Amino acid sequence: MNVMLYSMEIAMVLSGLGILMLDLGTPARGKRDLGYLAAFLMSLLLLQSVFMPEVQDGFSLLSSGHSITEGPGYKLDAFARYFKHLFLLAAILVLLMAVDFAGTLRARLAEFFALVLFALTGMSAAASATNFITLFVSIELITVSFYVLTSFQRGQMRSLEAGVKYLILGAAASAVLVYGIALVYGATGSMEFAALGKACPSAEHDHLLRLGLLLVIAGLGFKIAAFPFQIWVPDVYQGAPAPVTAFLAVGSKAAGFALLMRLCHHLRPDLRELTLTVLAALAGATILYGSLCALRQRNLKRLFGYAGIASAGYLLLGLLALNAQPGASPSGAQGCHAMMFYLAGYLIAVMAAFTVLCHLDGEDEDLSVLAGLHARSPLLATVLTLSVVSMAGLPPLMGFLGKFLLLQSAFEVLSPHPAQLWLMVVALGGVVISLYYYFGILRAIYWGGGISPGRPAGESEAITVPPLARLLLIACGLILLWVGIFPQALLEWLGDAVALFR
Amino acid sequence: MGDVFPQLAAISPDDAHGARYLLLAVMGVVAVGFAVAPLLLSALVAPRKPSEIKQSPFECGLESKGDAWVQFRVQYYLYALAFVIFDVEVVFIYPWAAAFTNLSTGALVAMGVFVLLLAEGLAYLWIKGVLSWK
Repeated sequence: MNVMLYSMEIAMVLSGLGILMLDLGTPARGKRDLGYLAAFLMSLLLLQSVFMPEVQDGFSLLSSGHSITEGPGYKLDAFARYFKHLFLLAAILVLLMAVDFAGTLRARLAEFFALVLFALTGMSAAASATNFITLFVSIELITVSFYVLTSFQRGQMRSLEAGVKYLILGAAASAVLVYGIALVYGATGSMEFAALGKACPSAEHDHLLRLGLLLVIAGLGFKIAAFPFQIWVPDVYQGAPAPVTAFLAVGSKAAGFALLMRLCHHLRPDLRELTLTVLAALAGATILYGSLCALRQRNLKRLFGYAGIASAGYLLLGLLALNAQPGASPSGAQGCHAMMFYLAGYLIAVMAAFTVLCHLDGEDEDLSVLAGLHARSPLLATVLTLSVVSMAGLPPLMGFLGKFLLLQSAFEVLSPHPAQLWLMVVALGGVVISLYYYFGILRAIYWGGGISPGRPAGESEAITVPPLARLLLIACGLILLWVGIFPQALLEWLGDAVALFR
Repeated sequence: MGDVFPQLAAISPDDAHGARYLLLAVMGVVAVGFAVAPLLLSALVAPRKPSEIKQSPFECGLESKGDAWVQFRVQYYLYALAFVIFDVEVVFIYPWAAAFTNLSTGALVAMGVFVLLLAEGLAYLWIKGVLSWK
């Protein structure tokens, strides 16, 4: 067993357990510092992992002959490492957000921080998964942690409702996923993703494999919130505490996409035909559903939920490109490149937006709480503007290039099939629609004063933002601008990570 | 694959498994019919003479009193949770113990980590005061 292969996950679990144990000896007023401790530990891990030497091979923990898997089912390549960095960054921002949010969470803070770390462990393991067992275990670790996190404010009806909805639909999705895995295993006789690239012994096995693959895509579709597995998104996003919603929107989604990317990479050419059709339909429906539902939405968290569904649709376009026939064009790596760039931009934008949401007062997150924000806190207004404009995909921010690369890669794959070009029309339509709802947020910030029913007119005192959150917000805003204008450094860094898909 | 799931390996086009599945479908239809038929029959045949007392819900032959939406203290749910965790632990430990002599050192380490994690959970519960009945 090569411990180095799992060193990051081990460090994450140990930090989580350590936080739990420290909680026992910490007085009530010191609990918030545990969040700073967790964020500090994860920052150390992030710094260390950036400089960690490449570890490619390892041995399974149970490497005796009667294992149903070949090899560790685990890979620490540049691809996995890039996603681990993303997840670590997201977790650090979420932990710091949660510290500021502690007043709303009230009790059991240490458990909250520990659960964030456990969910992070699952995401980090998902980035490395190369067989179905690792896939399932990591997905379950993420989901089970989120069951608790979404219903963390268990005194509130809405949080409980979110937790129950996520639990029931999540359990159903897990059942579909594990059934799909069973069918794939039955057809190929192997748990490895690589077995998807080999021919089946007979036509009947092949049918089983195709059905299993569709069920696996459906199960992962729940994680990434693709239509028609998106039904939980608005209620759960609204009911969960804001830091959890942010983590769910970024981490859970990125983990699902990382798994789908590895999975699609191994597919046989004839299976790619199937997934290309399925993913095209999913992408089109997801973009349309997310964009249209966001149009009339006034609750900010639900709005970001629907916008997140639409983003999943754009990311599916990149996955589509990954399913191009090998050797047909360089678009396989190009799709991967685009997805990873888009996810990075999406992470920063979502984290910035939710950090702003955490500092807004008001129980409901109706658009009217943004009224006059530019006067009450210019910093919050500016960062939210940058984040929203980036999500809308306008130059010169980071989101523009991400969306552009995704559309471009999908176009190159679809251009040989004129019948499939409807998807590009849908995607571009989605972009145009998104401008409307994203600019609804901007309108609420800058021109939304006065007409806010149920709120006293004189409520325009300044919002004070704690120094650390101020620093993070400024950093997020600067990254969105800087990488948007000078994307070369990130794109070159991504070049290593996508080498797998060439 | 054949050595793990011999049934799956046996699937082939000329096998008669289609007929076996047909039998299963027939069984399903009969089972559903068996449950639905008496309901339909009673709905069609039974005379309907509703009265106040017949319409009211009852439990074990007693008239119900008060509201069902009352709060009661489920103090034992934490015990139940802890119990389930250790119950599941047995499921993992038993096959491990049965195959113990053939397993590698890695398996010992893995199980040690697993048991330690559970012990940590127990210690956490204990110190938090969950196990003391108030």
